[in-house]
Amino acid sequence: MSRYLRAHGVFKKNVVAFNNLLFGFSIALAPVNLFWCFVGTFLGTVVGVLPGIGPAGTVAILLPLTFHMQPTTALIMLLGIYYGAKYGGSTTSILLNIPGESSSVVTCLDGYQMARKGRAGPALGISAIASFIAGTFGAVGLMVAAPPLAEFALRFAPPEYFALMFLGMSMVAYLTGESVLKSLLSASIGVWLGIIGTDLFSAQSRFTFGRPELLDGLDFIVVSIGLFSIAEVLINLESSVKPDLFPVPKGIKNLLPNMQDLKDCRFAFVNGSLVGFFVGMLPGAGATIASFISYGIEKAFSRHPEKFGTGVIEGVAAPEGANNSDAGGALVPLLTLGIPGSNVGAILLAALFLWGLRPGPLLIQEHPEIFWGVVASMYVGNLMLLILNLPLVPLFAQFLRVPYYLLYPVIFGISIVGVYSVNQSLFDVSLMGVFGIIGYFMRKLDFPVAPLVLGMVLGTPLERALRQSLLMSQGSLTIFVNRPISAILLLFSIVVLLIPILQAFRSAKSLQREANLA
Amino acid sequence: MNCLIFAALVILAAVAVAGAFEPTKPVEIIVHSAPGGGSDLFARAIVEMFQKDNLYHQPMHVINKSGGSGAVAMSYIAGKKGETHTIGLFTSAVIFASLTQKEAQHTIQDLTPVVHLVLEPSVAAVKADTPYKTMKDFVEAAKKNPGQLKQAGGVVTSVDNMFRLLIQKATGAQWIYINLPSGAERIANLLGGHMDLMLENPDKVTEYVRAGKMRIIAALTEKRLSALPDVPTIKEQGISIPILTQSRGVIAPPGIPSDAVAYWENLFGRLVKTQTWKKYVEDNQQETYFLKSRELADFLEGQTKLLRGVLKEAGVKAVR
Repeated sequence: MSRYLRAHGVFKKNVVAFNNLLFGFSIALAPVNLFWCFVGTFLGTVVGVLPGIGPAGTVAILLPLTFHMQPTTALIMLLGIYYGAKYGGSTTSILLNIPGESSSVVTCLDGYQMARKGRAGPALGISAIASFIAGTFGAVGLMVAAPPLAEFALRFAPPEYFALMFLGMSMVAYLTGESVLKSLLSASIGVWLGIIGTDLFSAQSRFTFGRPELLDGLDFIVVSIGLFSIAEVLINLESSVKPDLFPVPKGIKNLLPNMQDLKDCRFAFVNGSLVGFFVGMLPGAGATIASFISYGIEKAFSRHPEKFGTGVIEGVAAPEGANNSDAGGALVPLLTLGIPGSNVGAILLAALFLWGLRPGPLLIQEHPEIFWGVVASMYVGNLMLLILNLPLVPLFAQFLRVPYYLLYPVIFGISIVGVYSVNQSLFDVSLMGVFGIIGYFMRKLDFPVAPLVLGMVLGTPLERALRQSLLMSQGSLTIFVNRPISAILLLFSIVVLLIPILQAFRSAKSLQREANLA
Repeated sequence: MNCLIFAALVILAAVAVAGAFEPTKPVEIIVHSAPGGGSDLFARAIVEMFQKDNLYHQPMHVINKSGGSGAVAMSYIAGKKGETHTIGLFTSAVIFASLTQKEAQHTIQDLTPVVHLVLEPSVAAVKADTPYKTMKDFVEAAKKNPGQLKQAGGVVTSVDNMFRLLIQKATGAQWIYINLPSGAERIANLLGGHMDLMLENPDKVTEYVRAGKMRIIAALTEKRLSALPDVPTIKEQGISIPILTQSRGVIAPPGIPSDAVAYWENLFGRLVKTQTWKKYVEDNQQETYFLKSRELADFLEGQTKLLRGVLKEAGVKAVR
C-alpha cells in the first residue's frame, strides 16, 4: 500500500513537472523570448570567442538595456550570453592557444595540440557537442531536482570546500610532464602567484611589491594568456625552429568528430556534465575549478593517461562539458535560494532586484514563469547554440590557413586587446608580457605549465578554506574527517593520488615479468 | 543709454557663463568595482535615473577601474587633477580598506568630496531555527560559551568585523569571526547552519526572513528601520556602541574649481528629490543621507578616525 502511494506520489510529481515544463516552453517559445534567446546566445558566442571580455562583463554592460523588458525575457537573454560564452570560449583555445575564457584554459592543453595535428575541426566540433550535452544535462538537473540539490549545496561549509579543493589539487598528479619534481615546483609557483594580493583574513598585502594594481591579486586570464599564447608565439619565433604550418583539415569528414571520437568521449560527457553541475552549485567554486577537476578525473580514469596533453579528444570534451553544465548548476542556488553560484550569478541576482523581483526562497513559488521559462529556454538555447556553432567549425578551421607571418601579429593583437579589455589596464598588458617570457623559459626548461595554472586557480581557495576551517574548529584538524562529505572527498583524493603510484608499480612489475621471461 | 545697458547685460551674461560650470563633453563616472559589483550597478542606476527624469543631457559613461579595493580607482581619479568632467563613486569599504594598504598611493583624502548620497544600514541575522531572538540572547550565549559561536563576515576591515569588535568590547562577550569572501558564501553558510550570525544590508536578508529561514535580531542603526519597524535597534537592547555606516557618495578629482563642485552638488541635490530616486532607495532598503562637499569632508574624517581607533584596539596594523 505504502509502496503504491509512494509510486503514485512520484507519478503525480512527474505529471506536475511535465505540466510545468509545458508551461515553461509556452513562455520560452513565445516569439519575443525566442528572439532574445537567440540574441543572447549569439552575443554569448561572440563574447566567448573573443578572449578577455567575459560573460560577466557583457551581462553587466547590457543590464541597463533590459530595464524595459519583461524580467523573464531579460533573464532568458542574459542567461543566453552566460552559457553561450562557454560554447565560444574554446575556439581560440583550440586554434590559437589563447584561452577565450578562464574556464577554457584547460582546453588549451589538448585542444591546441589537436589543432597542431590537423584535428582542429573535430576539437571544435566535440567542444560544441560536449557543451550541448552538458548544457542540456544542466537544464535537466535544474528542472528535476533544484530545491533538494540546493539543500545539498548548503551542506558545504569551509571544511567541505577544503576537501573539494584538495581533490582538485591532487589532480596535479595527472598534470605532470616528464619530471615529477618540475611539476611540483611549477604547481608551487602557481600557488604563490595565486597568493599575491590582499589577505582576506588580516587585510595585509602579500607580495604586492608596492603596486596597488596587485592588491586584488593577479588576474587568472591575464596570466594564462601570457603563459599560453605569448609563450607559444615566442617559441615559434626562434629562428632555429622552423615554423611548421598547421595541417588544415580537408574534406567535410575531417571537419567534425567521427563515430570513434564520440565513442572515446562517452565517459567525458558524463564526467563533464556531473562535475560541472555539482561544482557549479557551490557558491565558493566555479566553472574554472570544475573544468580542471573534470580534466583531472578524465585523465585519472583513462586507459591511456600518458597521451593527455598530446591532443586527445576527451581532454577537450570533459572540461568543455564541465564549464557548460556549470551554468545549470549555478542557477540552482540562485533561483531556489537567491544565492549566486558564480560571478555572473551575482550580477543576475542584482538584475532580478532591479527588475522589481525579490529573488529568494520564495521566487519559484511566487514567479513560476521565471523558473520554468528559464529552464525551457535553456533547452532551446543549447539547441540554438549547437546549430549556430557546428556550421562555424569549418569556417573557424579555415583560420589555420593564415600564414605564420600574419598569424603571429594576429595572436599578439588579439591577446593584447583581450587582456586590456578585462580591466582596461595597461598594467595587465605588461603583466601578460612578463608571463609570456616566463612561459617561454618554462617551455625551454621543460617545466609543464598546466600544474602552474592549476596551483594558481586552486591555491587561494584551498588556503582560505583551510584557514576558515581551522578558525571554526579552533585549530583541530579532526574537522576534516568528522564531517562526512569532507571525509569522502578526502578519501577520494587519496585514491586519485594513489592511482598513478599503483600504475607505476604495476607497469614496473610487468616489465620485471617480461625481463624474467626473456 | 540703451547701448550702455546692453553692454552691461552682455558683460553680466558673460560673467554668469564664466561663473557657472556646465559640462560640455561626455562625463566619466569612475567606479572601483568590476561590472556587476555594487558601485557599478549604483552608477548605472544613477545614469538611468538622470535620463529618466531629464536632469542631465550629456552622455555619462561608467568606467570600471577595479583593483585594490578601490586603490586603483582613487589613483586614477587623483591623476585627473583639475578635470571637471570626471566624477567617481566611493563607499566606506574603500576608505576602510585604504587604512591597511601601504600600496595605495592616493586615498579619498586627496580627492575633492562632492556629495554623500545614501547610507546602507546593517542588520544582524541568525538562522530561524536558532534560539536567539535578540542580539542580547546571542551575546548571552556567546558569554556562556566564549569563542564557540561563529560570525560569517568579510575582510577584517569590513563594517561587519568592526561591529563585532565594538559589541564584544561593550558587552565582554567573545565569538569567532570567519572571513568568507562573498555575501553569497556567508548566506549559504548561515542557512546551512555552519555559522551562527551574520551582518548584512537588510535588502539581502529580508527574503529569507519572509520565507521563514532567517531571523533579524537587531538593527545596527540609530533609529528603527522603516522597512523593519518591529526590529529593535542595538541601542534599544542596551548595547551602546558607536554606529558605523556603509556610505555611498560622489567624489571628484583634486583641484577642481568650486563652481564645478557646486554644479555637481546641485545636480545630485535635485536627483535625490525625485520620485524615481525615492523609489530606488526604498527598493534597496537604503536611506538617503545627502551631504554637500564641506559636510561630507567632516563626515569622512569622523568615520576614518573612529575606524582607526577600532582597528588599533583589535590589533590590526593600520598604515595611515
